[in-house]
Amino acid sequence: MVSQQDDMVSQQEDFGANPNLLAAPIKSPVDKFQLLPAFLKVRGLVKQHIDSFNYFVNYGMKKIMEANALHKVTDTIYLRYINISVGEPYVAIDNIKLTPQFCRLSDRTYSADISVDIEYTDGKGQHPTRKTSVKIGRLPIMLRSCNCVLNGKDETELAKLGECPLDPGGYFVVKGTEKVILIQEQLSKNRILIDIDGKGRITASVTCSTHEVKSKTVFFMDKEKIYLQLNQFVKPIPIMVVMKAMGTESDQEVVQMVGRNPRYGDLLLPSIQECSSERIYSQEQALDYMDAKFNFFKSCSIQLFITSFSTLKEGRAKSILTDVFLAHVPVKEQNFRPKCIYAAVMLRRMLDAILNSDTFDDKDYVGNKRLELSGQLVSLLFEDLFKTMNTQAVQRMNYAMGQSNRSGALDFSRYIVTDIITLGLEKSISTGNWDLKRFRMHKKGVSQVLSRLSYIGALGHMTRISPQFEKTRKVSGPRALQPSQWGMLCPCDTPEGEACGLTKNLALMTHVTTDEEEGPLISLCYSLGVEDLAHLSAEEIYANDSYLVFFNGLILGKHTRPHTFANAMRRVRRSGKIGEFVGFRTFDDFLHDGLIEYLDVNEQNNALIALYEHEAGEIDRSEITHIEIEPLTLLGVVAGLIPYPHHNQSPRNTYQCAMGKQAMGNIAFNQLSRADTLLYLLVYAQRPLLTTKTIELVGYDKLGAGQNATVAVMSYSGYDIEDAIVMNKSSLDRGFGRCIAMKKQTVVRENYGGKVSDIIVAPQRDKDGALIRKNMQILGADGIAEPGQIVRNNDMLVNKKSPLNVDKDLKTRTYKDTPAFFKGVEGETTVIDRVLIYTDNNEKMPIKFIIRHVRRPELGDKFSSRHGQKGVCGTIVNQEDFPFSERGICPDLIMNPHGFPSRMTIGKMIELLGGKAGVSWGRFHYGSAFGEPSGNACKVDDISNALIQKGFSYSGKDFLYSGILGTPLQAYIFMGPIYYQKLKHMVLDKMHARAKGPRVMLTRQPTEGRSRDGGLRLGEMERDCLIAYGASMLIFERLMLSSDPYQVQVCQKCGLLGYYNQKLKKSFCSMCKDGENMATMKLPYACKLLFQELQSMNVVPRLKLTEA
Amino acid sequence: MEDTVSYQRLPKVRIREMRDDFMKFELRETDASMANALRRVMIAEVPTVAIDLVEISVNSSVLNDEFIAHRLGLIPLTSDNAMEMRFSRDCDSCDGDGQCEYCSVEFHLSAKCESDQTLDVTSADLHSVDHRVVPVDVQKAFDSDGYDPNQRGILIVKLRRGQELKLRAIARKGIGKDHAKWSPAATVTFMYEPQIHINEELMETLTFEEKESLVDSSPTKVFSIDPDTQQVVVMDAEAYTYDEEVIKKAESMGKPGLVEIYAKEDSFIFTVESTGAIKAPQLVINAIKVLQQKLDAVRLQDDNNFNELDAHLGGS
Repeated sequence: MVSQQDDMVSQQEDFGANPNLLAAPIKSPVDKFQLLPAFLKVRGLVKQHIDSFNYFVNYGMKKIMEANALHKVTDTIYLRYINISVGEPYVAIDNIKLTPQFCRLSDRTYSADISVDIEYTDGKGQHPTRKTSVKIGRLPIMLRSCNCVLNGKDETELAKLGECPLDPGGYFVVKGTEKVILIQEQLSKNRILIDIDGKGRITASVTCSTHEVKSKTVFFMDKEKIYLQLNQFVKPIPIMVVMKAMGTESDQEVVQMVGRNPRYGDLLLPSIQECSSERIYSQEQALDYMDAKFNFFKSCSIQLFITSFSTLKEGRAKSILTDVFLAHVPVKEQNFRPKCIYAAVMLRRMLDAILNSDTFDDKDYVGNKRLELSGQLVSLLFEDLFKTMNTQAVQRMNYAMGQSNRSGALDFSRYIVTDIITLGLEKSISTGNWDLKRFRMHKKGVSQVLSRLSYIGALGHMTRISPQFEKTRKVSGPRALQPSQWGMLCPCDTPEGEACGLTKNLALMTHVTTDEEEGPLISLCYSLGVEDLAHLSAEEIYANDSYLVFFNGLILGKHTRPHTFANAMRRVRRSGKIGEFVGFRTFDDFLHDGLIEYLDVNEQNNALIALYEHEAGEIDRSEITHIEIEPLTLLGVVAGLIPYPHHNQSPRNTYQCAMGKQAMGNIAFNQLSRADTLLYLLVYAQRPLLTTKTIELVGYDKLGAGQNATVAVMSYSGYDIEDAIVMNKSSLDRGFGRCIAMKKQTVVRENYGGKVSDIIVAPQRDKDGALIRKNMQILGADGIAEPGQIVRNNDMLVNKKSPLNVDKDLKTRTYKDTPAFFKGVEGETTVIDRVLIYTDNNEKMPIKFIIRHVRRPELGDKFSSRHGQKGVCGTIVNQEDFPFSERGICPDLIMNPHGFPSRMTIGKMIELLGGKAGVSWGRFHYGSAFGEPSGNACKVDDISNALIQKGFSYSGKDFLYSGILGTPLQAYIFMGPIYYQKLKHMVLDKMHARAKGPRVMLTRQPTEGRSRDGGLRLGEMERDCLIAYGASMLIFERLMLSSDPYQVQVCQKCGLLGYYNQKLKKSFCSMCKDGENMATMKLPYACKLLFQELQSMNVVPRLKLTEA
Repeated sequence: MEDTVSYQRLPKVRIREMRDDFMKFELRETDASMANALRRVMIAEVPTVAIDLVEISVNSSVLNDEFIAHRLGLIPLTSDNAMEMRFSRDCDSCDGDGQCEYCSVEFHLSAKCESDQTLDVTSADLHSVDHRVVPVDVQKAFDSDGYDPNQRGILIVKLRRGQELKLRAIARKGIGKDHAKWSPAATVTFMYEPQIHINEELMETLTFEEKESLVDSSPTKVFSIDPDTQQVVVMDAEAYTYDEEVIKKAESMGKPGLVEIYAKEDSFIFTVESTGAIKAPQLVINAIKVLQQKLDAVRLQDDNNFNELDAHLGGS
């Protein structure tokens, strides 16, 4: 089907109105849904990450090694890399195979050795020495990648390794935390983009990127004349000068290259005139002109990359033209012709844009964007570190050669420092900072801790795309929904607020490609009749029936029959001879047979895609080139949970996408053996009664995050206004919304080296055998709290002692008590779930306590349906007071009907209907996005009929009696099951109040924030109110007495602060050197502090007191 | 209260259907307040016995202690003598440790899986020291005297090889108001008895097809057509769910008043389903007893309180 395509584009210019036809129309594509599970089975949900990483390990690494293979110290002494490979993850010390779960629990990095085969000389012997499997560092391994132990394992094997079979992999485990490298969005490289810049000028820009150089070439038109702008030149260079500098001296040839259309000539005339008015006619003159415009300061750094930097003066302009200007177009043997042609094409497209404004490019068009994945990002890091390592190795070798007293032969492999790569990779992935000076890249937040709040949250995290722009920009363009993101990016799943529309998510079936080998494809193109431009004159390029063929942003040549060529390419692709992602593509058997193909955004423009075969309608059937597998795949994983999303107001779906990630439920099959810092689990999680196909495909039906609650849409008691929910107490008693919060607390038994470490001792008892401290009662005989014990605030977890000295002699060594206590909510009973003891890399012994707390819903806990309708629990009512129907049905919760009119969440109403029909028939109904025509969503009519058959009203409304009065309610009540999620925001974690408590040292004012038991601030706006009201005593009380009152001694003579001499019982002014005229007053401590700080800056605040 | 008009009514009960776990009866010649009071008491105030305190000594199962304790609490226990038992808070012959015969019943559970097959720990493994208080399904199996291998009881937890569960539980008397586990009622509901009048004159003006569509318009089977006379007759008035579909249908056919349905304000049809803790008929009787006790409590209250109430209501 459709795909995001990464690298290869074969682009036909002037593609006519006749889209290519698929061979024969498929007889019955009715069951095409069957393809979807097959597709996801083959591909997995996060294949893009895994593919990308695999590509890096198998090919990318080798390419980097080959590019940096030879390192010479002198002509005779060198180091050459021959091969590079990555092994299996294992622990270095005991050679135990590492498993991801082991790493997660013991705070290790899941990584494997990178080993190389090398060849080096020591300068003495003629024969180079060879060494194989030299370890140069450790590479963090992506879970489920080809080097991971989980690769290819089935469910039972995974269970044995402690892994959840539904976990998609695609992330790293670094120092025990799971890290995802987010997909980075970037502007397409090596592509001509015609745009209008900030000054309203038409520009043609190309961001060139090759292995060596990254540069940006811009042509712009100012006052009808076209200029080249490059960072290396101080001023824009007239375009004709550039063309001449590249050897196209004749103006006519330039015009020919751009095109013979006289209108092009007219537009080029001012540029040509300007050039001649500058009296530049030859290549020499042009180069001299450009040399003069050379920018010294800016290009200093660039010079590093200029390989053919020759003579100082003339060389400069020329070398810039070769290496920076349109850097991706190679210059072989001083042949500038390809560059000239490329520049001409840029000019032509600019002029086209002037003549016809439709031909402007859109920067936000998805086809003009590329996604950078974890493999590429790790590859950048690795390349940088590999180079650093080699430079250092060479330096050390140099140094070692300088040492006269060296013994034995020089061994190059000894100078390779393995820590550089290991630590560098580990540091970058664990902090998320990609700081690569070599590539001038300083990105923050590239990797993030995988959100394990819910299964769907983790999946959603893996499909997230981080934006190319910074979030602060107030632009609407890049945030808007692009028509071209259909099927590629989820239209619903984006955060609210500053990152809205910038952070995106992949759609369900999006595939992101890795690089494809170029060589064979180029020769294939040539053999399919592409004529190389080198053999053609400028005139021939735009002959009537010739079309340019682009390959990865390079002009390959021209072809006279573009349709034949495109069809031929497609045929080759469909027959599976070339990679499916060459422009467009297919999978597994179907893929091989060419029945299904991936379309990239750019190719979609040349295809006519129907949703269903039968819906062709006005369009001629024969014109349809493709059929979508399923329209529901245009949404992402997170939006796929919403039933009937196409009946909802669109922002509601976006809100649900944000909330689905906060819902509690089952996280993974191994959730009880995990040791996360914070884990919320639902006690009785259910699968939704109204499901979607996506839910089944991603496994949400196995790891649900919510419960099917019978909801009555009615008003009750007034405690349900503003989206509050009234809950049935009996439902809560029976386990509705009950959750488990697991928190981790780690205590480290420090190791001070030299066999000196903390000790953990059994709880001390007095002579009667009673514990010396009351809070020791949960300790076991080993001095560590035991699992299963009920733990309260300030209970001791570890009875630990730290050494005061490091005496070798155990007898003289003294210890002090350094016990660890449990910090929890006062009055709540929590239980120690598990205790994990292990040794980490530094020989320390951390002890992890997993502390469990079972909570039932209380007033103020947050709940939400799957339609962006969140609400807090407003009141809890006994079951006998709840309305009931004559069948005896009593709702679990009551929702106020005011939630519907303004939100327009029709999907929720249909969910209720479908759910009601579902329970009464004992089956699951479907509500997949846009699924009605294909049968993936039940129609309301059918649901209503199903309800009627079970004796319900077709409208889903029931006749209810008041539970308080026993009389019938005035209206029929819309009642039925809706899937409700319990969100992580719970009152228990948030409620906070304080009377007196801790204060800040510096200002002596109350602390801030719940975690520090802080006070509630009376801010300046509140203060303004009190001032306006005139409540001066209240202000006085709030701002001083309840905050930081302080008594000072003021000298009435000099107005400065004195002090109180406790011995003499007398206040004293240190300025006037006497104790006369002293007065006592109260002021806020912060005020006194301010005076003193001002004094320290030589500003003297004086207090002038009057009698009060 | 000078007027001594008697509001006394003598409600009549007619039992329609009576099984151990189900009962259907008519309550006539009273009003909604009476019917609702009975319903509310059945749900929330008829005492039963349920596990309230669990001491877990070994638990290596996948479910945590609180989880298992919660599940144990929800197992219905036979509570026929719950009315005579004491609430443990009122019991003065014990200190609430479960050793007291008046207020609590002790249970023991010990299970360990030693085979490769998953072991289901069910209510059948819960051993009571008092044979009168046992899980309802155990009692049922005992009564029917037959061992049904498919009916292993209420599942508490599943164990795999090596896992063990050992605990002591204490069941206490309580009421549904405190926690739903003490509620003996699975479903208690009532409906007003519908009175359906068919305007035969108007009905005669309908064609057979129209009659058929009228009959079909009701989602429940309330009406039918007499095959002999081709007349619309009321088949089952109680199947009517007050949905007014038939009335709307009649209106849309341009024949308003074709069918008129009223709720009889003074007759109710009760449906009672029991969890098994107390047999459904006993549940109703117990509920009436509790209701009586509550009324007694009101009657025996200090008169001063009533004066206060009178003053509150405007004084008379």
